[in-house]
Amino acid sequence: MKRLKTVLACAVLAASAVTAQAQSQDWETEGLSDDAITIGVMGPFSGNAASYSKALIGMMAYYDKINDEGGIYGRKLVAVQEDTACDSAKGIAAAKKLLSQDKVFMLQGNSCSGVALAMRPIIEDSGVPWIVAHAVSDSISDPLAKNIFHGVPTGSANGRAMAAFVLSKPDTKKVAIIEHSNDWAHSYSDPARAYLEEHGVTPTEELTMERGETDATAQVLRLRQDKPDFIIAALYEAETAIFLRDLKKYGLGDIPVMGTAGTDLENTMKRTGDFDTVKNYYVIHSYIDNLDGPKMKPWADMIHKYYPDEQLSTFSFVSIGSAEALVAALKAVGPDLTRSKLIDALNQVHDFDTGILSDPITWTPEDHQGVKGSAVAGFVDGKPTVLKAWGQPY
Amino acid sequence: MQVSSLPRLRRRLFWAVPVLLLALPLLTNEYTQFVANGMLIAALVTLGFSLVIGNLGQLAFANTAFFGLGAYASAILSATLGLPWIVTIPLSGLVGALGGFVASSAALRGIRAYYLAIITLAFGELMRWVYVHARPVTGGTNGLALPKETLFGFSLSDDKVKFYVFLLVAVLLIKATSNLLRSRLGRAIMAVRENEVATASLGIPTARIILMTFAWSGFVTGCAGALFARHVGHVFPESFGMIQLISSFAMVLVGGLGSILGAVLGAVLLTALPEYLRAFPGLEELFFGLIVGAVLLVLPMGLASLLRRASPLFSERYYRE
Repeated sequence: MKRLKTVLACAVLAASAVTAQAQSQDWETEGLSDDAITIGVMGPFSGNAASYSKALIGMMAYYDKINDEGGIYGRKLVAVQEDTACDSAKGIAAAKKLLSQDKVFMLQGNSCSGVALAMRPIIEDSGVPWIVAHAVSDSISDPLAKNIFHGVPTGSANGRAMAAFVLSKPDTKKVAIIEHSNDWAHSYSDPARAYLEEHGVTPTEELTMERGETDATAQVLRLRQDKPDFIIAALYEAETAIFLRDLKKYGLGDIPVMGTAGTDLENTMKRTGDFDTVKNYYVIHSYIDNLDGPKMKPWADMIHKYYPDEQLSTFSFVSIGSAEALVAALKAVGPDLTRSKLIDALNQVHDFDTGILSDPITWTPEDHQGVKGSAVAGFVDGKPTVLKAWGQPY
Repeated sequence: MQVSSLPRLRRRLFWAVPVLLLALPLLTNEYTQFVANGMLIAALVTLGFSLVIGNLGQLAFANTAFFGLGAYASAILSATLGLPWIVTIPLSGLVGALGGFVASSAALRGIRAYYLAIITLAFGELMRWVYVHARPVTGGTNGLALPKETLFGFSLSDDKVKFYVFLLVAVLLIKATSNLLRSRLGRAIMAVRENEVATASLGIPTARIILMTFAWSGFVTGCAGALFARHVGHVFPESFGMIQLISSFAMVLVGGLGSILGAVLGAVLLTALPEYLRAFPGLEELFFGLIVGAVLLVLPMGLASLLRRASPLFSERYYRE
């Protein structure tokens, strides 16, 4: 009897081991077929933030380009789009649908950091590879999750890049900061402050300009007393234009101002309607060239080939770099693709030059925030120019 | 059907629905279960809102603030103070009730109609400002994440486990609200809606009635906020803005103003609809608007009126067409 029990127990154990292995193998190749790799693409296709869905256009056009070239080992990249509406509950529903109902192989995309943050625990628990292609909050990929990869510069990378550019101007001793009092602004200004402190510079003036303010006289008068060498401005575009206008009005137009990726050089000039006001304004710019520059033209042509009606903006290109890194990793894995192998291959992406992002992508098993810096755009001789550092064109 | 047997049948039907729903997790996947959980939360939010604008007849829009207060109370109590989430549900209800008490102060000062609407809208926006700017407590725009927890050994990350807790809370609050509306207080609430001056002339303390209704509405909605916090696992200020308010208002109107059955039907329909419309990316909002508009045109008293016409079983004694 005892022997029978032992035999039965062994049989049950063996059967469950075989089942677990089969289930694990099924999980590894879920969403894969001989001719398709399904990729869940989440973005705000409706709601107030629907304009951010432009950020996924470049990535989708790149998938189309790869598919036209025959796919990856005969498999096409098939995007399954789900709307998050930039709302955490709707975003989680989208993630759960893609994971448990559509059973996609992997995920890529996401604008709206808050939604991505809310999704993180679910996607981390699922183990399904996820490449974040637009949202910038550091907390999405830090602390490290083995299946979550950040394919754009994070808030801290941008903040540090802003401060590095400021300090690259010779004889910069006094730096002032003006910012909104929200976390978006802090996501730039806090890492910028940390970088300045590391280099022995303490901001001489720290000012707040609230969203919706239509006058910056008070702040500008404080700056006139302080006479900074450089100003870091973590402001949205509308307030940036007002601040620059008042800066010029009170004779401080020659002080250079460093802005965030949330503003666009040419749009800011349009808002102020005056080149003189923006001639010393610099912004974070994640690309190797101006949007209408020759190095960006092939990418613009690619987008227009598959999306002829697309009005190109900074957002249109942002996800292409991470899509390239994904395709490189899929090619590196070979035809015998599994989720674990893809994660391993993504961890091997090192100094990957995307030909579009200003900085390369490097993912390691210890660090999944792949893009560590950004270029800067500013006017040089009256023309918008991409810069590596002060006075150094890209 | 004999009229005398109706109340008994109604009671049986009331309990039969949640009993049948106990089997729902056997039929769902993670996604559909998540949507079903969202329906239970929406039903409570709609119920709380309907109580103020439908039953009490006050044009007040502070319920999204109560919802946010409940969600943040739950998140702060469990993430910062380490209280078990289940304990935070009634506490969040109390915080919501306090919000109701504050919001009712405008109504108590005789402010009505559009003026009350704008003051309560401002209250909602003020609360959202607090969520964004009280960073050390609320986490600012990054929000607050709830810690992972178990309940009697079951993980509260599992939507099926959450469903049973949400169902229990929803049934208890719906039953309590139904009992309240059928009580003396409920009749007084309806009297205030019909004619506040005449009600006061009968010796009914209308100010106290208004305050208690707002507070109960805040309690129900605050509890829903605690469920929502666990539902999404992370609370953000954006979840409690104008979109949430419009969505809840639409649920009240589509279901039937002042009807408990309508609150549930409106919440179920308008939570499910956007999920079905996922198949039409980019057109969801258009279809959603058309469907809501069509329901209101064909059934101005909401979906509940359709059921009432079909059977007296669904009529609500305290509801007036």
